[in-house]
Amino acid sequence: MCFKNLPIEFDAQGNATLKENVPNPYAYTETPAPTPIEDDPDRMRDLVERNGGVRRVDFDPITRVAGALAFHTVVDLESREVLETASMATLFRGYEVILKGRDPRDAIFISSRACGVCGGVHATASALACEMAFGIHPPPLGTVARNLLLSIEYLYDHPIHLGLLAGPDFSEPAVRETNPEIWERAEQTRAPGRATHGYEFVSEIMTDMTPLTGKLYLEGLHYTRVAREAYVLIGGKYPHPQTVVPGGISTTIDASDLNEIMLRVVKYFDYGRKTVAIWNDVIDFFYEVNPKYRDIGTRPANMIEPGQWDDPYAYDGTFANADEWGRQRWAPPSVIVEGEVVTTSLQMLNAGVEEFVEHAFYEEWVGNGHGNENYKFPTDPAGNPLSPYHPWNKETIPKPTGTNWKEKYSWSTAPRWDRLAMETGAYSRLWGAAAAGGTFTKDRFIESTGRSLKINLPKADLPADPIEWHIPEIWGAFERNRARAYCILYTAAIAYDNILLAYDLLRKGGPDAKMSTPYKVPKDFRIGVGLWSAGRGYLTHHMTMDKQVIENYQILTPSTFMASPKDPFGNPGPYEEAVSATPLLENYEKPEDFKGIDVLRAIRSFDPCMPCTTHIHTDDRTISREVVTCACGAEGPHEH
Amino acid sequence: MRVLVGGVGYRFLRDGAIGPYMADELAAGAANGIEVEDLGYHPVGFTQNLQDRPAYDRIVLVGAIARGREPGTVTAYRWDHALPSDKDIQERVSEAVTGVISLDNLLIVTEAFGAFPRDVRVVEVEPADEGWGEGFSPVVEAKLAEIEEAIWSSTRP
Repeated sequence: MCFKNLPIEFDAQGNATLKENVPNPYAYTETPAPTPIEDDPDRMRDLVERNGGVRRVDFDPITRVAGALAFHTVVDLESREVLETASMATLFRGYEVILKGRDPRDAIFISSRACGVCGGVHATASALACEMAFGIHPPPLGTVARNLLLSIEYLYDHPIHLGLLAGPDFSEPAVRETNPEIWERAEQTRAPGRATHGYEFVSEIMTDMTPLTGKLYLEGLHYTRVAREAYVLIGGKYPHPQTVVPGGISTTIDASDLNEIMLRVVKYFDYGRKTVAIWNDVIDFFYEVNPKYRDIGTRPANMIEPGQWDDPYAYDGTFANADEWGRQRWAPPSVIVEGEVVTTSLQMLNAGVEEFVEHAFYEEWVGNGHGNENYKFPTDPAGNPLSPYHPWNKETIPKPTGTNWKEKYSWSTAPRWDRLAMETGAYSRLWGAAAAGGTFTKDRFIESTGRSLKINLPKADLPADPIEWHIPEIWGAFERNRARAYCILYTAAIAYDNILLAYDLLRKGGPDAKMSTPYKVPKDFRIGVGLWSAGRGYLTHHMTMDKQVIENYQILTPSTFMASPKDPFGNPGPYEEAVSATPLLENYEKPEDFKGIDVLRAIRSFDPCMPCTTHIHTDDRTISREVVTCACGAEGPHEH
Repeated sequence: MRVLVGGVGYRFLRDGAIGPYMADELAAGAANGIEVEDLGYHPVGFTQNLQDRPAYDRIVLVGAIARGREPGTVTAYRWDHALPSDKDIQERVSEAVTGVISLDNLLIVTEAFGAFPRDVRVVEVEPADEGWGEGFSPVVEAKLAEIEEAIWSSTRP
């Protein structure tokens, strides 16, 4: 029984059904959000009288994240606590409307523009949705080629985050400015991983994390190039591939292409080992200096991971068999609650998802949680119950208003699974695979123990020592970064495994070595979903189509889950929750010296990617585009 | 003389797409040491590509950028290689690797990593409409010939 909050129960055969005799089972009563401190003069007066350290600190925009994110806090600089948080997605996109009425194949190329970092994952999620709707799936080599594209995309993405976006928060200039006493200690602390990364003292690592000039920063940039070079060999372009199609990949590959890809992927064996050693040394050093650093960005380990990297023989594109082919993925689907996996069923993962808009600039589409008895899809294609707030039932109805922390303050919806705020990312796939234990035998270079993941890659220049990631006891910002470092190796292992598989398929030839399958776009009503992931985690594209065009299209992204505002049950979104729990360990004497480094470390540890988080509906009530990172902004009268 | 003409911007953003549009239009006329390329991809990638190639004598960039001028204004100038603060550059690099494509971004990031030749020319167009869609606003549409001439003029020794 994976659901604690949704009105779903399971019969003796394990089939999900709605609880009996519950009228309007998905209805809820909204719990009002707390009154903002600024709107509560008595509380504000009490706080100010108690000490003079209460401050409103807004981070707008938060730099070194993809896209536009603003974050509101009220902090008490004397007690070193965060009293109030609000996460604001301030960027608007228009995919749902742009895609309505179009040929479903267009979604592959248009939705790719949702992100300038990882467009390929959107293209693939669209292709998967099309495949389910069309009733097709790729030949084995097509699936393997798609797996390679995904792996390489992650090998682009993780170095960007660790080297260029999160890394500078741990660099010499940042540490000197915010905690000079830690810098002094770093100068005296030897780095345990010297044999792997070459640095004698922790301070030397921090110096090389310095933006623009640090060797590790520049190395991160360099590895984006290596990944792009590999990607275009199959994808044609980066970040928007030209070869992802329903039913596979529209180009051919041969052994020479695979050689070129492998030459680049193996470079990540040493880079990954080095990155793991660097982040282990930096994180363990901070913990040693002050164990409270474990609490930066901490929150319950509630994660959602659809899984990715399909088995070329198991994946058949059907919703009916989604549980079977999902569990055969290199990263298995997992929903994790309080650190424990509660389901690995893709159908249950899908059935548990809802989106709420009480604190977002949208109108609720089923009657404010009450009038929801009649909606289009009460069940999924396998007969599992669906909520009226499920993406297949969702309508995007923008409702721009002024920002009010108690009411509406974000263009991100509040997605929930079983009405719980979930996070997702490189670490959720690591966690799910590690927790799988002996049932995870997918990759010849990866071993799951149930509480850890052992990665045994072949030797490159560095020794082939096994690397082991352990599920952490306390889940927080530093552990997110550590896990992401391990994910470079995890991803390289999967890429390598798929390269070897591709060689085998090419050698054998025959139908399995074809790259795509022929198809016709059906004329009748169809439904599909791409259950996939991005570098930052969970990604789904839900589609309905009729008469060969898209009827409804909903994109749900990792940062929508994580940047979400509060939900109607009074629970904060993951960024909000993580920052609320963050102790302010920065060294400041006067309030004006406060930089907010601990808050920023907490937020950046999620690897926020805002361009794909929000969507705009372009009709008479449209909200104007602000910034685009890709070609798909929408614009209209500015009302907000 | 080896010259690269690069169109910077996004497709399907009306006037904002003038860079890629010009790259498409001028590509057929590229000859005598002039190469024309769509630079509608992120500036770090462009920097790394430049570092792989034999040096250009001159790079000519064309794109739309809103600077509060009369819409349709065409400005051609030789760039002075001035850079903002390190903090600003760092933010531009972060934007670049996460997908932001803009003329200013490209100039700053490419210069910061030392990939430009000494001679960099810019042809800027003040957009009237950067909304989703194909085609240009009437005011920019009327300037297409002028923009093209400004680009070719910028390639001449």
